[in-house]
Amino acid sequence: MTQNDTRARTGPASPAELKVASRWLSSLARGVRGSFNLTLVMAGLGAAATIWQCWLLARLIDGAALRGEGLAPLSPYLWLLGLAMLLRLGLDALRQGFGFEAAATIRQDLRALLLLRIEALGPAWATGQRSGAIASTLSDSVEAIEAYFSAYLPQRIIAALVPLAILVVLYPFDWVSGTILLVTAPVVPIFMIVVGKGAEALNRRQWQRLTLMGAHFFDVVVGLTTLRQAGAAKRQALIVANISEGYRQATMQVLRVAFLSSLVLEFFATIATAMVAVYVGFRLFYGDMAFLPGLFALLLAPEFFRPLRDMGAHYHARMEAIGATEQLLAILDAPLPPERPRHPLPAAAIGEIRFENVGFAFENGAALSDISFTLHQGKTLALVGVSGAGKTTITKLLLGLLSPQAGRILIGGTDLADIDHADWQRRTGWLPQRPTIFAGTIADNVRLAYPDATDMEMRAAADHANAAGFIETLDAGYQHAVGDGGRSLSGGQIRRVALARAILGKPSVLVLDEPTAALDDENARQTIGSVLAFLPEAARLIVTHDIDLAMRADDVIVIADGRIVEAGEPRALLAAGGALSRLADNGI
Amino acid sequence: MSKGNSDLHRLISLSRPWRKQMALGVLLSVIVILSNIALLALSGWFITAMALAGLGLMHLEFFTPAAAIRGLAVLRTLARYLERLVTHDATFGLLSELRVWLFRRLEPLAPARLQDFRDGDVLARFKADIESLGNFYLKVMVPVCAAAIASLVLLIALSISSPVVAAIEMVALVLAGIIVPFVAQRIGAAHGAVVARERAQLQAGAADLTRGLGELQIAGAIKDRSDRLMAISANLVRAQRKLVWIAAGGNALSGLIGQAAVIATFVTLFCVSSAAGAQAPYAAMLLFAVMAGGEIVAALPAAFAALGVTRAAASRIFAVANLEPAVRFPEPANAVEQIPTRFDIAFRNVTMRYRPDAPIIVEDLSFALPQGSCLALTGPSGAGKTTIIDLLQRFWEPQSGEILVGGRPLHTLSEETLRQTIAVVGQHTHLFNATIRDNLRLVRPQASDEDLWIALREAAIDDEVQALPKGLDTVVGELGAHLSGGQARRIVIARAFLSDAPIMLLDEPTEGLDRTNAARVVAAIRRLIANRTAIVIAHQAEAKTLADRVLAAPFGAALSREQAEPTPMRAP
Repeated sequence: MTQNDTRARTGPASPAELKVASRWLSSLARGVRGSFNLTLVMAGLGAAATIWQCWLLARLIDGAALRGEGLAPLSPYLWLLGLAMLLRLGLDALRQGFGFEAAATIRQDLRALLLLRIEALGPAWATGQRSGAIASTLSDSVEAIEAYFSAYLPQRIIAALVPLAILVVLYPFDWVSGTILLVTAPVVPIFMIVVGKGAEALNRRQWQRLTLMGAHFFDVVVGLTTLRQAGAAKRQALIVANISEGYRQATMQVLRVAFLSSLVLEFFATIATAMVAVYVGFRLFYGDMAFLPGLFALLLAPEFFRPLRDMGAHYHARMEAIGATEQLLAILDAPLPPERPRHPLPAAAIGEIRFENVGFAFENGAALSDISFTLHQGKTLALVGVSGAGKTTITKLLLGLLSPQAGRILIGGTDLADIDHADWQRRTGWLPQRPTIFAGTIADNVRLAYPDATDMEMRAAADHANAAGFIETLDAGYQHAVGDGGRSLSGGQIRRVALARAILGKPSVLVLDEPTAALDDENARQTIGSVLAFLPEAARLIVTHDIDLAMRADDVIVIADGRIVEAGEPRALLAAGGALSRLADNGI
Repeated sequence: MSKGNSDLHRLISLSRPWRKQMALGVLLSVIVILSNIALLALSGWFITAMALAGLGLMHLEFFTPAAAIRGLAVLRTLARYLERLVTHDATFGLLSELRVWLFRRLEPLAPARLQDFRDGDVLARFKADIESLGNFYLKVMVPVCAAAIASLVLLIALSISSPVVAAIEMVALVLAGIIVPFVAQRIGAAHGAVVARERAQLQAGAADLTRGLGELQIAGAIKDRSDRLMAISANLVRAQRKLVWIAAGGNALSGLIGQAAVIATFVTLFCVSSAAGAQAPYAAMLLFAVMAGGEIVAALPAAFAALGVTRAAASRIFAVANLEPAVRFPEPANAVEQIPTRFDIAFRNVTMRYRPDAPIIVEDLSFALPQGSCLALTGPSGAGKTTIIDLLQRFWEPQSGEILVGGRPLHTLSEETLRQTIAVVGQHTHLFNATIRDNLRLVRPQASDEDLWIALREAAIDDEVQALPKGLDTVVGELGAHLSGGQARRIVIARAFLSDAPIMLLDEPTEGLDRTNAARVVAAIRRLIANRTAIVIAHQAEAKTLADRVLAAPFGAALSREQAEPTPMRAP
């Protein structure tokens, strides 16, 4: 179960892909020009304060050590030095604050964009995704771009401008030191780019591994009980160890290369500083220069490299952001289902619902073809057939979660494809095969579609779904907190809560996918009876394996291999001895 | 606070296998810091001395210091590279250690003790918190230890030349390195906890959203759920903003203290003792050393902040990891285990409630199930059918009474023996997002493809698997999403066939199957339990075909006026 997880899905990114990622990231920054520019202004002013501070310090040492000046002549410089330091540190704090604001705006916008996109992509897309991977994209991948915008991007501009400013100031004082810095500086970015290129490709695979590791752990934690039952938990610990160890080795490979870029940077920075010190020293010795400019040069040399060095420290922020970009774009660039102009659904009664030669095929080959039937208001239609025959697909087509590839579905004479889906879905109630319980209270879950429903309405729905009984025995009743997956509820309880949710809004169309699974016979009969009584006007479509339930429907459709093999009034079908009676006989 | 410390203590003890590498990382870090201070101090001394020598005020041998400056530059660079490699390697090693450790702690807690935690939460703990813990070494231990050692060396060196400067530097280091970061961390701790909490909620909420997208769309509630996630995200940003400002303020204050030390040193050396002339190079050296000394504590504010995050993560992880498993199994090594040779099952006066304040679910239940027979448990949902099956798997310990398998009390069996003895097809049996082959092999890693096909045939799903383009290599999707409900169930049943355990527990094995498939499964199960002991939770009709006796809820003499003895039924 792990070989697949550890296998990287694709190779390293091509330069073209990296360019796309970088360009996309830069385009995000465009929206936050204001705070971004403020970050740069703070950094520029901070650099000026730093240069001033270095000069003041050099002036002080020169005065005290060589000219033998006392405290009195030096004290104005001391005060100014204090002021310069204060300015520098204050500006630096502001720079961090503005950088954070820029990144925070981008992160919020990006999350909103992702959520909109997920909504637009819809359930048909979501079924094929790992919810662990999507969850980590929304939380971790968005967080991963924080440092790119708050630190790396401004630093890239600072790293180009501040050294230039230092050179401009330094040259009039000491052109030799200036030249040493000028010569070594451009070498640094070139080396960094060369080294960084290699690390980038490696890093991208690293990110994929991390995401897969997340999804794997999710799976393992959710399936912990099954692992124990299978006696496989001890083995799984070894697999966790192997994956972690593999991750360590792979990451170290990346880091060995990635850290080389900072090695190169540090090497040049430190050596250049040392060279400035030695050359200044010798020229002082031979009397070729005065002490003040020499000392100023020595103090400025580390400041010259500081922005570059900081950028080296933020370089992994860029790599992380580029790695995360792939997950983000996987959602943002996923092809949307085609848009069609949609009309609102008239508020009047829906009328009959007709499937006309509807066909649909999944990528894995399972298909529905030539499905035609009519669903009437106030009537119950039961869909029966072996599992995998396509019953659930029919319900999803009706609900507008999937779109027919052939034929059409008419809602009171209008093609569903032309109707605003939100409008349509507001008129439906759905109990899926595997209902989801959302984190929150039971009341939140029942009121999912109608947050403003009154307590009385909620209780009535719960009562008719046969859920009120067990909910009221809970300590907090309807305020009982349920987690994701509804682990604290039994399968039957989850289903009844979801049923209450489906009927709360008195929908015109009710779709129940195996409503009696996980309920015993007594419970099932009672529940369905009261649900039907609750919604006498609704058109009701019920997928079921329960022959008793099918017999109580007004009409039955038998599906086999994606086709309708039999349709009609249940008692007549049973008497005719066709597919339905065979299904009934094969039972228990 | 003291509890947090003991958590950190345990964290440190978990890192034992990586101790040497961790110490090496600290040592390299000390070398980096000291070589940089030495480089700057020497440079300061060098150019001041050279200037004085140039003016003829002193005599100077300059080749050795010039070479030393270049040597220190190279040393610093190399040590830095090695330090980063060594510390990161140790960090990832620690992470690996921690992950396995936590997994091993979680495993015996499932399912009894983990019920109360949301899956998303447990996952967030497993992932993010472990990473925070792994960073404890990299972001806390290395900077703190290296700063302590380097400070000591610097202060000793300074005190030899000037005790006053050493005293100034000591005050500055303590203030900038300990007091300010400590205060900043105390102020930020609450926000750090909020950040961790909101991130976990974001992750869990996003997983909910993806899994239930269809239902949310029908309910028209996607916007509402998205808004909730955005609100969580906004809370996250708010807490992070506070942390950023606290950190920036702390950094500025620490920096200011370092700069104040430079001014104080300058005044002391040049103005008070007026170190002009031959003394000037030494004064410059000390001044530069104090200037570079700021680097020692530069990483400490970040370390303190990381400490807060680590503490929160540690307390959350240990809150789960410290839970007592509901049941402890005897170790196979030190227990002289009597492996059952027959497989009859007996409950003797078993009483069970999940918590002292929870209602009694099974009371004083006694029954005996001979080897090879099949017992059906029937009754409404919530009556305790699953409880009886869970007790037999020893997920819970009964309040009183005894359960025997083959005459051996359940609590004398090792977990390994028990799991090999019992196979389960349950309501919540999980399919892993892996291939069908891997899912089946969970119970028998060595099974050949032939074995797998036999099991699939018996579960009546072989033709459907064969029809899949990738056959056994088909990935089933998250929670088996790429399969229909019926198919997923039959894969799970095939897994039970493959395990070949002498006792079978079937928790509604045909739930969600259509009658044709259910009939095939029932027939297969009948083959499977022919020579095995089995307990099946099923509806009346199904129970009749499978079981030779039935036990109806309520379970237990005291709960039921009628007798709770299994009622024999006609042989199937």
